Amino acid sequence: MNDALKIELPQITKANGLGTGPIPIEPYISPEWYEREKKQIFGRAWLCMGRVEQLPEANSFITTEVEVCGVLVLITRNKADKISAFHNVCSHRSNMLVLEPAGTASKFACRYHNWSYRNDGSCLGVPDRENFFDLDLKERGLTPIACDVWEGWIFINLQPEPEVSLKEFLGSFGEAFRDAPFPAAEQFFTIDVGNMRANWKVTIDAFAEPYHVPVLHTATVGATFANKLNPFSRPLSGNARGSHRTLTTFGNPDYTPPEDALVERLAYGNVDTGNVLGSDVNSLDAGGLQNHPAINPNRAPSWATEIAWMFPNFIIFFSPGGFFSIEFWPTSVNTTRWMAKVHIPVAQDVRQRFQQEHHNCRMGEIFLEDVSNLECQQKAMESGAKKEIILQDSEFLLRHSIETVMKWVEAATVREVLK
Amino acid sequence: MQQTTQSDALLPPGFGELEGFVAYWAGETNDIRWDRRSRAAMAEIRRFYDAMLPRGEDAMKYLEKFPLAEMPDDATRLFRLLLSLAHASMAVEMHRQPRAKFSPFPHGMHIGRGPWPQGS
Repeated sequence: MNDALKIELPQITKANGLGTGPIPIEPYISPEWYEREKKQIFGRAWLCMGRVEQLPEANSFITTEVEVCGVLVLITRNKADKISAFHNVCSHRSNMLVLEPAGTASKFACRYHNWSYRNDGSCLGVPDRENFFDLDLKERGLTPIACDVWEGWIFINLQPEPEVSLKEFLGSFGEAFRDAPFPAAEQFFTIDVGNMRANWKVTIDAFAEPYHVPVLHTATVGATFANKLNPFSRPLSGNARGSHRTLTTFGNPDYTPPEDALVERLAYGNVDTGNVLGSDVNSLDAGGLQNHPAINPNRAPSWATEIAWMFPNFIIFFSPGGFFSIEFWPTSVNTTRWMAKVHIPVAQDVRQRFQQEHHNCRMGEIFLEDVSNLECQQKAMESGAKKEIILQDSEFLLRHSIETVMKWVEAATVREVLK
Repeated sequence: MQQTTQSDALLPPGFGELEGFVAYWAGETNDIRWDRRSRAAMAEIRRFYDAMLPRGEDAMKYLEKFPLAEMPDDATRLFRLLLSLAHASMAVEMHRQPRAKFSPFPHGMHIGRGPWPQGS
């Protein structure tokens, strides 16, 4: 083994000024703590809701729910291409206004009494208006939700008057990822779990440390992310970026499909570690994202993924073949709805489409390996046997996450956390 | 109903030996194909895998004659069988059992929208 093959594995946790002690389990299992997170984190942070391409044209809309805060969200693009968010609630008797998950409409009518609204939120019409008492339509528009866009990502803030702008919230993370490429942003396949029995932090943590990959994911991708030089899949860089954080993971450059993985070989003529997770298997540098300074910032030769975790609950995964995102929405103290959106190019031929099916299958299987594991972990945490968890250096993102969660929960103001 | 022998064929000429797999393994969407594989016994998965794998390259060559999203019905069925081979391989080549070890089933995980066409 010559020296050129040695891998530089940096120390991360201390270099980023984090502690090294054990972490209390209470925030992962306590209903009281969850109530505080609801108000202090999800009620105050800018929350990423998806990409502008999900609203592809003038008058596109999407609806969604922020269960943790009990908020129904309608996001619209008007004919001037302005993206806005509203509470998806009719001004009349407070019924849910738009029931479709997505579509195109310049106006919306409530199915209960046909009150109607333009997609800029203004109230357009009320049937039998004369029979109301002093009704002023100008006062009866949809209730707006603060909404802003960064690099094509749509964010909302549930504070009636957000304490900080999106730019301030994203801070050094936003600076670092300015102009980051998002190839195939228009198309994605989804893998979703409606109600997983694990706390949202337990869930998201499983997607943010490579230490477990060679162990839990032996069957699916274990050999892809570790080798003799880096048997425990230690990360190649890690950076705290304000309330947000990033980690570069290692990919085994020697990976080839096993001899008996005949279908994998049939699908992947020219497999490379960097694109086992990345979606465009034909590209080692989709959209030129290898050149971006925040992606694999140390320019390590065998990188697999740049995990870019936007506080609190949204991760973008960059790899040489493309990007995908996973969002994690708490539905109770110990249940989570999560969804992966895996961006892929439109298949040009049958072979590429077959590769995509294989890729989609493998992503599903990897996630499935996590599901039962996390439900077991939640149950074990709730058993009370342990009061704390132990984190090592490769679990840097988890430590930064929980430290940030604690800061937000304790802080009287958002500005105080961000300073 | 009168139909010719030709239109009774579920699969394109030359792929007749795979017809017995169409009913179960030519699922319309990625989510259905995943679900079918997840519910199948290992012996069934293996039987399909062993029959489809040696025809995988032939199927791709045959299907490349058509635009991806506009194949005739018999070719579409063959296409879906080919795509199911990726699902079968998860059990055969990765888990060595029908589903991921210790994974619950039903697991509540869905492919809301698969790659396309034949995705959702």
